[in-house]
Amino acid sequence: MIKIRDLVFEYPTARALHGVNLDIPAKAITALVGPNGAGKTTLLRLMAALETPYAGSVIIDGHDTRLKPRDVHRRLGYLPDFFGLYDGLSVRRCLTHAARAHGLPAGEVSDAVETASQSVGLTDRLGQAAGALSRGLRQRLAIAQALVHRPGLLLLDEPAAGLDPSARRDLSRLLLSLRDKGMTLVVSSHILAELEDYSDHMVIIDHGRVAGGTAFKGAQLFIALAAPDDRLPNFLAKQRGLRLLQADASQARLVCEEGAERRALLLQALIGADFAVSDFGEDRRALEELYFAQLNQSGEARN
Amino acid sequence: MNPEFQRNLWLELTPARLLLMTGFVLFLIAIFSAAPPGFPSSGAVATALYYFLVVLWGTRNAALSVIAEIRERTWDFQKLSSMRPFALMWGKLLGATSFTWFGGILCLPFIVYPAWRGEGLPSAAGELAILIGQGVLAQSVSLLTSLNLIRRQHNYWRLDAFLCQVMGIVAAFSAYGFPNLLPIGPQAPFSWWGLTLQPHWFQFYSLLAFTAWALVGSTRAMRLELRSVNGPFIWLAFLAFLGLYEAGFESWFANAGGNSIGLHAAALRLAIADLAFAFSAYGMAFLEPKDPVHFRWLTGEARSGRIGRAFLALDCWMLSFGVTLLCTLVLALALWRDPQPIAGEPPAALVLPLLAALGFFTRDIALFVLGRTWSRERGDFAALAALAVLYVVLPQIAGPGRSLLLPQMTAPAISLVAAWMEAGAVWVWAVTRIERRQAEFTSL
Repeated sequence: MIKIRDLVFEYPTARALHGVNLDIPAKAITALVGPNGAGKTTLLRLMAALETPYAGSVIIDGHDTRLKPRDVHRRLGYLPDFFGLYDGLSVRRCLTHAARAHGLPAGEVSDAVETASQSVGLTDRLGQAAGALSRGLRQRLAIAQALVHRPGLLLLDEPAAGLDPSARRDLSRLLLSLRDKGMTLVVSSHILAELEDYSDHMVIIDHGRVAGGTAFKGAQLFIALAAPDDRLPNFLAKQRGLRLLQADASQARLVCEEGAERRALLLQALIGADFAVSDFGEDRRALEELYFAQLNQSGEARN
Repeated sequence: MNPEFQRNLWLELTPARLLLMTGFVLFLIAIFSAAPPGFPSSGAVATALYYFLVVLWGTRNAALSVIAEIRERTWDFQKLSSMRPFALMWGKLLGATSFTWFGGILCLPFIVYPAWRGEGLPSAAGELAILIGQGVLAQSVSLLTSLNLIRRQHNYWRLDAFLCQVMGIVAAFSAYGFPNLLPIGPQAPFSWWGLTLQPHWFQFYSLLAFTAWALVGSTRAMRLELRSVNGPFIWLAFLAFLGLYEAGFESWFANAGGNSIGLHAAALRLAIADLAFAFSAYGMAFLEPKDPVHFRWLTGEARSGRIGRAFLALDCWMLSFGVTLLCTLVLALALWRDPQPIAGEPPAALVLPLLAALGFFTRDIALFVLGRTWSRERGDFAALAALAVLYVVLPQIAGPGRSLLLPQMTAPAISLVAAWMEAGAVWVWAVTRIERRQAEFTSL
């Protein structure tokens, strides 16, 4: 879907991206993570053809952003980290304008407005002025504006910033439902814990370079034993549908690529084999540890 | 309907605002129509009100139609729309100013009716066309200026809006009023490219031509915002138009100086066109961003032998600078070869001061580039201040050393050497700063 090759971008006083190479798959949610100032927003803006590369290329669906920026614009929706709305217009008019400005035929606008407002839960606010909405509702309206023309690609820069936990959960659900409908999403975020809930891949950006990344296929599990047992690594290695990340006599980290039933069978097998299992569950720290490990590695490589 | 135009109508033309404007305009005109002699007539009040609404307020709204999008962080959304640059441009131009046009249109019958009764329909229609043309030109120049200013990406939006207003107002009154400035008076026929023309027709066609160029310019500036590449040819065509338009006033220029210039008509025309090109270079060097990244990219392309690609991406100020350079050299050659004496001197005597002037001009443009490397926000104003010091303050105190600051007929060789040394020094300084900054961050 997106091919980025040797991408360099410069601001007058700094080089923001140093030869980035990246492939972003279609119909998946890719998370861009990295420290502040790493180049995530710049990379998103280049993907959106809102900036022109200094060197290299960004190809979206076969269209070069430098050569055909308007073709790229038509194919995507973009939510910037700091966005504005036309506060004087009602939610319905905001969405109607967005749909028409994105070239939707007049006959389809009304349906598109209904669908977009439904997907973000704003159907009961269509008559309300955008300026009167709360922070969370404004965020939803901005997302609805970005997807009202049913783009194939949605770029979201820090979409969860400033949202309360319930709104964040709603956002995760929305992103997953959009992916399930066939949309490709690229999300920049600082909130690592939530990325696992909806992302399929993570790409770490640091100092304008790709510093690492991983694919989230299946749940990452953590297993701890009350009494160390040397058989544990071999036992886990023989199990079907598991990918061992790390294991020793007292604990293990692994990826279970199948669903809840497979996890239940694994737990049953561990207990059946007389392992003194004291902890068995999703490994919430795995992503964070991976992130910092890859970031440190990238820092060492730079030095 | 154009979505951008419709959005603006939703915001601008609310029933309450329409009622308020109608009441305000009619009330003011009614008061003056009932006023005793000695007070302005209702037609004069309507004219003043029209200029206030359409030109003064309209230029502000036209500028804010873009500047406010940046301020309110909605511009990225607009740039990602599917609208064509021309549609987005006119949607903004007519939409954002629709409320002021509504007020202006209310004034028009009170302005045109007396002309219709007094001088007939053609005169009234002409006046109407000129009033509308001035409004469109002022607003489109304001929009064009705002589209250029936002590329500089600073945060002085009030100053930007004010600058746009000034540019719009100056453009509207210059394009229409230029013949009025001539010493022949506004009513007398005058010569333009050998044609004897009535001023009011010339004013009308000038207004039309400059309005068309302002709309073309706004569309091109919008294209740049939407990340499309413009290419140099339309700007070069505008320069050709400007040069031809200004050069047509050759006979007036020759007469204005009591024929003391004594140049051949062709050389004088070239000199006038050259002056217009130089002014366009100064104007665009001030307005355009002179982005060091773009400068580095162009240098890189040129060094890699991709001259054509670099040429297609040249900024307007660079093109104006190049055309001025070329035109001045052609003029110098023409003077060098001209045997007819000017005020007892061979025309070749003008060559050195002319080349010195070119050197000072080259230095001045470099000052804008240098100013940008110093500060994105204040660099252009610093360059303007430096020019004021160089051309106004220092010559007052320099005495005989004035040749180092201005092209002088009395010491042309000194002026020439000083001008080009200064130009070289400022350019080297600017380019070194651009390249050193890049070397610093690419080595990271």
